[in-house]
Amino acid sequence: MSLNEFRYILDESMRMLGRRKGSNAVSIIIMGLSLLILLVFVLGTLNIAAVIERTAKELRVYVYLADGTDENAVQDIQFRLLGIEGIEEVVYVPREEAMDEFRQTLGEASDLIDDLDDNPLPDAIRIKPKQRFITSGFLQRLGAVVSEWDGVEEVRYGKKWFERGEKIVNGFYMTDLGVGLIVLFSVIFVVSNTVRLTVLHRRRAIEVMKLIGATDGYIRTPFIVEGALLGAASSLFALGLLYCIFLFGKRYFSELVFLEGGAIGIFIGLCSVLGAVGSYVAVRRLLKI
Amino acid sequence: MSQEKRIIAGVYHLSKSYGKHFALRDINLQIANGEFVFLVGRSGAGKSTLLKMIYMDDYPTEGQVVVGPFVSTRMKRNTIPHLRRRVGIIFQDFRLLENRTVFENIALAMKISGAGLGETKRQVTDILTRVGLYHKRYDYPAVLSGGEQQRVAIARAAVNQPAILLADEPTGNLDPLVTRNILNLLFKINAAGTAVLMATHDLELVRSFGQRIIYLEDGSIVKDKEMVYVGELRERISDSKVTEEAERLEGLDITGDGSAGGDVVPD
Repeated sequence: MSLNEFRYILDESMRMLGRRKGSNAVSIIIMGLSLLILLVFVLGTLNIAAVIERTAKELRVYVYLADGTDENAVQDIQFRLLGIEGIEEVVYVPREEAMDEFRQTLGEASDLIDDLDDNPLPDAIRIKPKQRFITSGFLQRLGAVVSEWDGVEEVRYGKKWFERGEKIVNGFYMTDLGVGLIVLFSVIFVVSNTVRLTVLHRRRAIEVMKLIGATDGYIRTPFIVEGALLGAASSLFALGLLYCIFLFGKRYFSELVFLEGGAIGIFIGLCSVLGAVGSYVAVRRLLKI
Repeated sequence: MSQEKRIIAGVYHLSKSYGKHFALRDINLQIANGEFVFLVGRSGAGKSTLLKMIYMDDYPTEGQVVVGPFVSTRMKRNTIPHLRRRVGIIFQDFRLLENRTVFENIALAMKISGAGLGETKRQVTDILTRVGLYHKRYDYPAVLSGGEQQRVAIARAAVNQPAILLADEPTGNLDPLVTRNILNLLFKINAAGTAVLMATHDLELVRSFGQRIIYLEDGSIVKDKEMVYVGELRERISDSKVTEEAERLEGLDITGDGSAGGDVVPD
């Protein structure tokens, strides 16, 4: 594409956008609000996932040892565990230490267990898994394997809690996807209609252009650019509103996180593409070009 | 300046029907470079349809249209713009872009062909001067008179120096004096080498200029005669047959009354 052609296309698109400011503004607002709904869902998901991830970092796997397991056996088990990729740290927690921890947890209610003669708690090895291995798949397999070892009574990692957490996050992702698809179609639809108005408005001029030898692409391109610009403007509008909501929410939840730069860039790009697509569809259907 | 005569546009056994109605029946005609041809007939005779076939706004039901290297039976959608750039077209309703200046309207025709800024400026300035509207180059069509708008349309059609210029009732909306001016402009352009095919139902107009005239009636060519000014003919030629012929043509009434229709015999 030569410089002249590029200049013409940009010129035409700006000309068209400038002329129908009112209806374009309305379209941008409508699309912006739809996109905002999606963004709110996404931001919510992001933050919930962040919370869950933070908690998951605290997750520890407990390998409860059978009564009477001697020191050597314990060390064996520890070494074997360290050999498993995905395990960062192993710590031996003798039952006395476990009892102390338990007392601390109970706090004021610790006198409840003062009557106990025996320490019912088993010796244990506490495993700290590597961050990215904290998935239910890995933990389940780890538990299944390690619990078969000699001297191992049981392996626990808060399975129920963990699985529920994963379900919640997945649920959010699914919802986001659903909302996203709806919003996606609505954006294409709105841009398509907006551009259709422009095209109808310009029908005569387009006929003339065809008579003096303009190719379909030449006629079509400014409309597509117009669509892309509408999409981009809507996304920026939505992001702006989202940021206001974010700032407001941060006053109550200081750990709230916003989207990162890369995601923002992708979002704007995606909306531009949607706009271009909506425009292409409208022009094609109306002008059969 | 004598040019080698060559055919630049032709239609061969061209028929066009819309459903059961035949707009054109077995039309055969050729136009050579530099010719000026009037296409005459009453409304509905098929003049506009014939022109449309030539700039390929629609395709023949039967037959072929050949314009330069472009052949209707071998045209693809994306070749049509290239044909249109080599053929200038003007209409009764001018068809200028209202939101652009006179200059921009004409320049667009060049931009579409990919011309650079400098060349565009030169050519547009040149053609505007030739049609006598350079001083109005920054005006918008709405402030121009009908005649002026048509001149802009002609300038736009001619700026790319097409081989042929098609005119569909270009003087239909104009008063007689302006009509003469427009015709003179078209003759000027024709003299510079562009063939012109002009459709009109104004027989009076045609007779007073008398270039090649093609008579169209009900979709068929009724007469395709090379004519010098009839007046001149009467004075110069003594051959009775030719005089008869000339008188017969003079008496031919094809403006809609249908009274002299019976005299017409297809060649």
